[in-house]
Amino acid sequence: MSRLVAAEPETRNSNYIFEDPPDEDKFSACVHCGMCLEACPTYQETGLEQHSPRGRVHLIKSVAEGKMTLGEVFSDSVFQCLDCRACETACPANVQVGTLIEQARGQVRQAMPLRGWKGLLSRIFLRGIFPYPRRLFFLGTLLKFYQKSGLQWFCRKTGLLRILPDHLRQMEAVLPKVNKPVITRYPAVVPAEGETRKKVAMLTGCVMDVMFSDINEATIRVLTRNGYEVHLPRQQKCCGALQLHAGDREKAKQLARQNIDAFLAADVDHVIVNAAGCGAALREYGELLHNDPEYKEKAKNFSEKVVDVAKFLHDNGYRKPTGRVEKRITYHDACHLAHAQGIRFEPRKLLKEIPGIELVELPDADRCCGSAGIYNITNPEMASRLLQKKIASIPDQVELVTMGNPGCMLQMAMGVHQHHRKEQVVHTVQVLDWAYQRETEQ
Amino acid sequence: MFGKRLKMAAKKAKRKKDKLIESLIAVVGEDAIYYEHEDLLAYECDGYVIHKGLPRAVVFPSTTEEVSQIVKILHAQKIPFIPRGAGTGLSGGATPMGGEVIISLVRMKQLLEVDFENRRAVVQPGFVNLKLTNAIAEKGYYYVPDPSSQRTCTIGGNVGENAGGAHCLKYGVTTNHVLGLEVVLPDGEIVNIGGIPDMPGYDLLGLLTGSEGTLGIVTKITVKILKQPEAQETVCALFDRVEDASHTVSDIISAGIIPAALEMMDKIAIEGVEKGNYPVGYPKDLAAVLLIEVDGIKEGIPEQIEKIIQICQNRNVREVRVASSEAERQAWWNNRKQAFGAMGTISPDYLVQDGVIPRSKLPEVLEKVAQISSKYGLRIANVFHAGDGNLHPLILFDSRVPGDTEKAVAAGSEILKVCADVGGSITGEHGVGIEKKEEMRFIFNDEEIALQVSIRDVFNPENLCNPDKLFPTASRCAEVKAVKRASG
Repeated sequence: MSRLVAAEPETRNSNYIFEDPPDEDKFSACVHCGMCLEACPTYQETGLEQHSPRGRVHLIKSVAEGKMTLGEVFSDSVFQCLDCRACETACPANVQVGTLIEQARGQVRQAMPLRGWKGLLSRIFLRGIFPYPRRLFFLGTLLKFYQKSGLQWFCRKTGLLRILPDHLRQMEAVLPKVNKPVITRYPAVVPAEGETRKKVAMLTGCVMDVMFSDINEATIRVLTRNGYEVHLPRQQKCCGALQLHAGDREKAKQLARQNIDAFLAADVDHVIVNAAGCGAALREYGELLHNDPEYKEKAKNFSEKVVDVAKFLHDNGYRKPTGRVEKRITYHDACHLAHAQGIRFEPRKLLKEIPGIELVELPDADRCCGSAGIYNITNPEMASRLLQKKIASIPDQVELVTMGNPGCMLQMAMGVHQHHRKEQVVHTVQVLDWAYQRETEQ
Repeated sequence: MFGKRLKMAAKKAKRKKDKLIESLIAVVGEDAIYYEHEDLLAYECDGYVIHKGLPRAVVFPSTTEEVSQIVKILHAQKIPFIPRGAGTGLSGGATPMGGEVIISLVRMKQLLEVDFENRRAVVQPGFVNLKLTNAIAEKGYYYVPDPSSQRTCTIGGNVGENAGGAHCLKYGVTTNHVLGLEVVLPDGEIVNIGGIPDMPGYDLLGLLTGSEGTLGIVTKITVKILKQPEAQETVCALFDRVEDASHTVSDIISAGIIPAALEMMDKIAIEGVEKGNYPVGYPKDLAAVLLIEVDGIKEGIPEQIEKIIQICQNRNVREVRVASSEAERQAWWNNRKQAFGAMGTISPDYLVQDGVIPRSKLPEVLEKVAQISSKYGLRIANVFHAGDGNLHPLILFDSRVPGDTEKAVAAGSEILKVCADVGGSITGEHGVGIEKKEEMRFIFNDEEIALQVSIRDVFNPENLCNPDKLFPTASRCAEVKAVKRASG
């Protein structure tokens, strides 16, 4: 018999037995209308209700009502989510699906901790390496040694790499050349060129500063060139997004508190981020620490200062470059810029105003490329399906694919490599930096 | 990956698998079926959340042949089944009463053919409504029926519910756009209906469209596609009194103008959409807003717009203006089309009703809706397709408050009674489903209902295909009775 569902106590029978469960006021805002379904990449691929935002929220609610356990089915539903937030753009009622998913993952990971080699790797990287810049930089040095010493050549030639799973081997093939991190090379304060318009701090990031320190350099050059004094707080840490996505909320909160302290001490007007995923995480510290009496207010104040570099330049003013970059390019919306931060037109505008640039729109530009933090490592099959779609939609005769997130850049580079294509994958700020550099060459 | 997980679930439960599940797996394979309790939870309701029931299994066929084989198995074993599209229906049409097998058509989502010369397209039932327009827009064509859920709802579901939408005022609802159907009958036989305009004999297409899945499962649909109008303009009119807005609606139609769309939202609805994801900045103290869109030949538009603005001014409009750009027009429509979901920002639950009334009765009915609202102590937001008198009162409630759900259901029923009493109907486009079964009695007497059931019996004699929907059941379930009692 069907039943009339009335006045079910939401919390009395809850199966959320750990601290920090999904907030009831967040999941009860969902009225089950289904407007999110087709916005969701995993629903588009599978058509399955539990792999749609609405289905996931329904299950999150079901656990709270005691109708579902913190078991396999629930875990699968919330961990197959890309946390891309496309559903939040589509949702008429502003349901914070991303936060709900992260909270649910926290419960799942405590109920069923990762075991075996997966657990080991997750602990080593997410708890043992990323939170500690020195260890990460050491790893970077090893990687650099691997690339430069001929070891990489050797591994590739001898086929040693075949011991890696397919997707990791693909990733190895496109690893950018590792440089020394800017945080260890640059002074703590980089002065502005000319008159100082504003003081800003910059998040150098963990992976960003190892794999893409040239983007960090470009960001610093563009900012200082435009009169912004750039602070690089030495005590800053990894933003915690990866830990948060993996369900390790405790570690994420610890990193958040450390970053809040480090950046508030710098006493700057804005905190600039050039990685969409990190930016979104920093902007959500207020949400993450909303139950922390000591940090609640500080977190809110901090989050309000955080801004993506493209939006910062657009809103606070920058000098339009006169150097020409003669390229036909396209722009991919990183999920955590477009959906999580609502930043769409600013980077496009920045790019379009560079002399010589022809910007062609990428169809479904804001559909996830499958990178999604470490999703492409944990869920390679779905990630690869999304990547195929993304690569297939790149318009013809485009020379550059631009974007504002390092995770997407690695993923897209992998896609371009797999399909033997020629497009170069670059960060928005890099193109702007080139244009400024060309000025002196001209 | 997903297939693998489904398979894993199957392995885990190998011992539990019964004969039925095994025979269904033999048709669709292990990666196209769910049958374990927790896997079924997400299918316990559609967009109507007041009733929930667990299916026995959910199967995902990929072809008409598979649908037919599944239905044959279920028919032979006398197991009831439900076709399901995207599950965005608002009357519980795809919600199990308990124990049915859901046949989900989401994997049948191909656009099979577009025939511009004959202005028609052939789609599978799981094809999403808006994708059809997107696929043919480049050549200047579109598919007219535009339910607010068009971004996600399927054309199969639209046929089942005879879906409408904002732009159906001028161009008609789904049934006016269906040219042919391939249907799997409740015994598994595959038949084709229609295909050419004005088929001789009974209008079976008309009968099947809107039959809410009680006469069979649609597996292929041929629809009309139309050339996009040469020009269109949208007017937004802000009113301080609902009466003025209501009279404006009647005046526009009486003036001989047939707008492509004529939509209205009242104060509480505006509060919701302004808090939602697509606000347009309507003033807070507004009583009603009208969106009026006209389309057609370019030369004919300005005159109509002028007339409409004049009518609005005669009815004390506070502000009236024409969309200055396509972006502004889109912003108005996005705001309007998100209205139902946006209620989540001002209430944890809502129940949407779907009454239809003669346009001239609008002020009277709205007054009664307001009375019902205060009687039950529940806020009611009003969103209407005002042009065709289709009301969507959104009754706001909190299912966690004991008694609230029952009150909302009772208030909804009373509103439908008001609609029926002024010569209207209980549903314009959302269907009867589970929700309005009993309210069918407001319009039909026992004999009329029995006659309709006998038509259903021609197709679905054993009542296996979407059972216990659409018509009131002889013995009503205890809970519904309790609700009725609560309503007094």
